[in-house]
Amino acid sequence: MSQRRMLSGAKPGTGHLEEFLAHPALLMLRAWRECGEFAEFDLGGMTNVLVVGPDALEAVFRAPDEQLSAAEAYGYMVPIFGEGIQFGAPLDLERQQVKMQATALRPERMKGYAHIIAGEVERWIERWGDAGELDIHGEFKELVLRTSTHCLLGEEFRNKLSEEFGALLHDLELAVSPAAVVDPFAAEEIFARRDRSRARLAELVTAVIEQRKKSGETQPDMLQVFMELTYLDGRKLSDDEIVGMLIWIMFAGFHTSSNTATWAAVELARHPELAAPVAREIDTIYQPGSGLSFAALREIPLLERFVLEVLRLHPPLVTLMRRVKSDFHVLDQVIPAGHTLAISPYVTHRDPAWFREPERFDPARPLPEPVFAYIPFGGGRRKCVGNAFALLQVKAIFCALLSRYEFELVDPPETYRDVMPSLILQVSEPARLRYRRKE
Amino acid sequence: MRVRVDLELCQGHALCREEAPEVFEVIERPGTYDQVKLLDEAPPERLRKKVEAAVRHCPNRVIQIEG
Repeated sequence: MSQRRMLSGAKPGTGHLEEFLAHPALLMLRAWRECGEFAEFDLGGMTNVLVVGPDALEAVFRAPDEQLSAAEAYGYMVPIFGEGIQFGAPLDLERQQVKMQATALRPERMKGYAHIIAGEVERWIERWGDAGELDIHGEFKELVLRTSTHCLLGEEFRNKLSEEFGALLHDLELAVSPAAVVDPFAAEEIFARRDRSRARLAELVTAVIEQRKKSGETQPDMLQVFMELTYLDGRKLSDDEIVGMLIWIMFAGFHTSSNTATWAAVELARHPELAAPVAREIDTIYQPGSGLSFAALREIPLLERFVLEVLRLHPPLVTLMRRVKSDFHVLDQVIPAGHTLAISPYVTHRDPAWFREPERFDPARPLPEPVFAYIPFGGGRRKCVGNAFALLQVKAIFCALLSRYEFELVDPPETYRDVMPSLILQVSEPARLRYRRKE
Repeated sequence: MRVRVDLELCQGHALCREEAPEVFEVIERPGTYDQVKLLDEAPPERLRKKVEAAVRHCPNRVIQIEG
């Protein structure tokens, strides 16, 4: 077994916590560059081992929950999704709940969602006019909030309550700070606010459930799926479990999608020579005004490659964690029980062994042969099940935008950076772009 | 050609069945992910385009073509 190295710069008592809180992605990148494929860092006394290469990652992703526990590493999500949901539920129930999430996102349901998303995108773009300048991140947050609430909870909810829903959700997100990794129940205002907002969200959603039960109507949204599905023992989800399922799916999809769309827009504006062929490809399958949902469901190879490259350099989830429950043997290493395993798409995607000149944005580069060298959606049993839905959404947005407009950066290119005010990677704000209607 | 599927990493998204129903079926598994079932491990050459589309569309990249 080769000796693992601990990252330099640990402080007595807190280790690398301060640096982690400031920017987890950069801390892990430094750890990998300094210590190699198995790099140790210390978060307030908890030893973390960052695992980077595809062979080691494959072993991690194939390991059972009983050995590498996600639930123990993500305890801070329990007050957000709720007791009895996901990591607040026993493993066998959680497994059934993930299956329900996957069911809500099956291909046969995608046509309905594509229709909803296309309608929202067309409505949203109407107010753009011929030219202008805007904070594209703010725009995409607003749009994805509308598409999400509409797909989750139906048209009426989206029309009346999107804004309040978005504000409450934002309170929950603020509580998923790197600080929550240390103690999600600390006596701090952001955590108190999280609990108040979670309670209000439950009120809002429960009212929709009640109303729908009373009316007996069915809707083509995810709420309907969650109201109808049952556990193996025949039991239906309780109202509070449904609330938790919806917050969970919203968490998984909202910022990840809006940040990906934002980075995609910035990279398109930053590389006009790469944007041009993508726009030409879109022009061959879509003309503004009709058929957007159909276009978004089609294969759009250049656009898809572009988005995959955005996800390589700017994966919204930069760290996935697992608590080691029993000694974990991987390659020539033994990671002892009690340690935490950290996986970082951000770091893995910058390995020159699989991506030549990794910092260069190049949508033409092929995906590496080993599946686990490219992991924007994670991997294994816990891999994101919203992959296809996310891609559908981003494709609808860029078909609509690139068929109508050209973009350019407002600020110097290097000022658009990866920042991490929460555990989710985003573009530094404001992400200002200028747009002009195409000739 | 021969088709192989890594069942351990399959989450039953069923996109392969959308592309090539002659080759892929999806088995319902209550309580856990549904799972793909190969109907034909050595499909005829005329289905190659469809199977290749299934490989491309699989979100988990668990389908491989040999030959």
